[in-house]
Amino acid sequence: MMSLSPMKMKCYSNQCLPKTHFLKFNPFPYPYTNYAANRLHTLSFTINCNLKNKGGNDLSRKILLSEASPPPLTIDNDDTVNLPASPKNKKAPFGVAKILSKKVLQILSNLPLAIAEMFAIAFLMALGTFIDQGQTPEFYFQNYPEDHPVLGFFTWRWIFFLGFDHMFSSPIFLGMLALLGASLMACTYTTQIPLIKVSRRWSFMHSAEVIRKQEFSESLPRASIQDVGTILMGAGYEVFLKGPTLYAFRGLAGRLAPVGVHIALLLIMVGGTLSAAGSFRGSVTVPQGLNFVVGDVLGPTGFLSSPTDAFNTEIHVNRFSMDYYDSGEVSQFHTDLSLLNMDGKEVMRKTISVNDPLRYDGITIYQTDWSISALQILKDNEGPYNLAMAPLKINGDKKLYGTFLPVGDINSPDVKGISMLARDLQSIVLYDKEGKFSGVRRPNSKLPINIDGSEIVIVDAIGSSGLDLKIDPGVPVVYAGFGALMLTTCISYLSHSQIWALQDGTTVVIGGKTNRAKLEFPDEMNRLLDNIPEIVESSL
Amino acid sequence: MIFSTLEHILTHISFSVISIVISIHLITLLVNEIVGLYDLSKKAMIITFFCVTGLLITRWFFSGHLPFSDLYESLIFLSWGFSIFHIVPGFKKDKNLLSTIIAPSVIFTQGFATSGLLTKMHQSVILVPALQSHWLMMHVSMMILGYAALLCGSLLSVAILVITFQEIIQILGKSKNLDSLNKSVDYVEIKYMNLNERNNFLRKTSFSSSINYYRSQFIQQLDRWSYRIISLGFLFLTIGILSGAVWANEAWGSYWNWDPKETWAFITWTIFAIYLHTRKNKKWEGVNSSIVASIGFLIIWICYLGINLLGIGLHSYGSFTSN
Repeated sequence: MMSLSPMKMKCYSNQCLPKTHFLKFNPFPYPYTNYAANRLHTLSFTINCNLKNKGGNDLSRKILLSEASPPPLTIDNDDTVNLPASPKNKKAPFGVAKILSKKVLQILSNLPLAIAEMFAIAFLMALGTFIDQGQTPEFYFQNYPEDHPVLGFFTWRWIFFLGFDHMFSSPIFLGMLALLGASLMACTYTTQIPLIKVSRRWSFMHSAEVIRKQEFSESLPRASIQDVGTILMGAGYEVFLKGPTLYAFRGLAGRLAPVGVHIALLLIMVGGTLSAAGSFRGSVTVPQGLNFVVGDVLGPTGFLSSPTDAFNTEIHVNRFSMDYYDSGEVSQFHTDLSLLNMDGKEVMRKTISVNDPLRYDGITIYQTDWSISALQILKDNEGPYNLAMAPLKINGDKKLYGTFLPVGDINSPDVKGISMLARDLQSIVLYDKEGKFSGVRRPNSKLPINIDGSEIVIVDAIGSSGLDLKIDPGVPVVYAGFGALMLTTCISYLSHSQIWALQDGTTVVIGGKTNRAKLEFPDEMNRLLDNIPEIVESSL
Repeated sequence: MIFSTLEHILTHISFSVISIVISIHLITLLVNEIVGLYDLSKKAMIITFFCVTGLLITRWFFSGHLPFSDLYESLIFLSWGFSIFHIVPGFKKDKNLLSTIIAPSVIFTQGFATSGLLTKMHQSVILVPALQSHWLMMHVSMMILGYAALLCGSLLSVAILVITFQEIIQILGKSKNLDSLNKSVDYVEIKYMNLNERNNFLRKTSFSSSINYYRSQFIQQLDRWSYRIISLGFLFLTIGILSGAVWANEAWGSYWNWDPKETWAFITWTIFAIYLHTRKNKKWEGVNSSIVASIGFLIIWICYLGINLLGIGLHSYGSFTSN
């Protein structure tokens, strides 16, 4: 039933549909192949095969096979493939440089070195969290004194010499990161890219012994290699048949994705460097109703930072407000901003809040902080007066602001008055000149309160919005790296499985290996091989 | 009120069911041929899973935000993460092995979460402005699923180390009484050997005793499990850290701040990246990679609890007002 012509087989999973049809041969089954140049001719053969299912129906089909010969493979695709020897350069100076650079590449792409670098970086980072960062020198003198060194040797001298008081920008740490980046590049260049070249090739095994040495191996008596091919195609494998030998693989993306992971990491490093070298940052606290100019706030962070036209933009804080939960806790902060260009024309208006920044022409404006700038009050129906609020230092993470309204003779040496305290814009607590609690008023309630003979109405509490401004040219690069890293890490989870088979008389020897799903692979193989029909003597 | 009652009921059910599962595992370790018990433990794990899910949903429903905002909730979510790794159909094979690791993990995290240590955290809190983001769900769920998977995987690696070192001790002839226990463990493993492994076995046993062969098979099995689970956890951790960075860029204007929590998450990531790289070298597979994974196990705990509990640095994500 089988037309056992000398054949090279290239087929797709959908050819296993129980229909009789011809499929158009596609010389580029996967986008990353480019060995078409090596191919001289493309011939098509047709075989018919019978698949005896357990149900008993014979499914007749034709599989289009083609002379899509892969480049012959001499190297066994293994995890450790060295750079293919480049053609020797005959010119001596070039040769020396080439040997030197090759040597450097070899050292850098060394796996133990890369692992040591990662350990060193992890250790430095851990150290950076244990040593308090960015403190004054006195702090380190006190905590790492010379007479009681930590661990017997670690004193402030070490910290300052090695720059561990600012670990994450210290030369040692950045140097390690750069070294790791170099290792990443070297590894990608010398190991991973050649791996792509190799894993694109189809490798056939011509000896049953070699096949039996694979992690998974099985012998099927009275089976045909074509059936094996069909079954494997049905399971989503790419199958290649050449005479009595078969090669099939699946999940090649899982083998290639680590290259993408490395490139994505490099992209993130580049983006991070760009961020560090070319950013502008600044923060400003603006009372409601006032303006500021972007360029006055932003300061450069690195030598690549150069101002843009957007620096002339003027920003007007239209309104600052806070949302509250029923319990009185703050739930959100909002600032209504207007952006004005040089001519004073509004170019953009947006209400920003935490987690919802404003982006305009490369500038990003974040809501990060707040304070209370002033209280507007009426005293005995006069005013309104603006009383500036000052932050009061208290323990804990709550803010407290206070102001003072003098009562009586202002010029006397110990002037007394009414104190007003506020935690947020919701309510103001008032104390009389003796310091006794007199009441709580909400702004806008228009409810007067009588303290020490004067009637006070709190008209409004004016908040200030704390804004952070940033121009960061590295963000798009870093985000691209993030996206690529997520994607390639996910793809890396796929397992690259390879299967070889050899027709040895009436027996088919099958061997296979996989790089990740080593647990599931034997099960899956056994399940697939169970479906391979046994050939009845007479039909051969 | 109905909320706290419901929460109590669900906590207690899941806690007692998981205790039963652990006892079942202890029994099956000694008497290994009771299939009914094994089925029972499977069902019990499913019950636990639904209880913890119910617990999370009630909390979500009554607090009005996703239950990821504090340590208590994240611990409960961690134990949910453990149980989901038990439930997912991809890990059908050899569940007994995984279940012995997962069940105690669930009980420890739940026990820790519900113990007196953290009682004041039980009250669900309001979300501060910085946490009100869609990234919260993505970031925290990915991080905690990542922690759960990495913890499972590294526990399996710890098991490899324990078994390997037992072997060394036995060679030294110091502990002969542990032999019987090992035999029973190894005996369970024979069930999971497939035909192919038996073929290999026939070839290999010509020079090694069967007990050593079973042990190496068992170690290999553990090794492959731990590699598979750690890879999955690494995937979640990567997505978690990156989504956290994107979120930080939205909320604070910087995608990386070298905050202690961030730094330790990155250290964890680095350690498991090292683990994945040690797998590239055939010589390092097994004991060496297990040592790395065991270091990773400690580091996850430092990252997850240590930073918050020991108060290294000032990690106060979301405390918008504390600058």
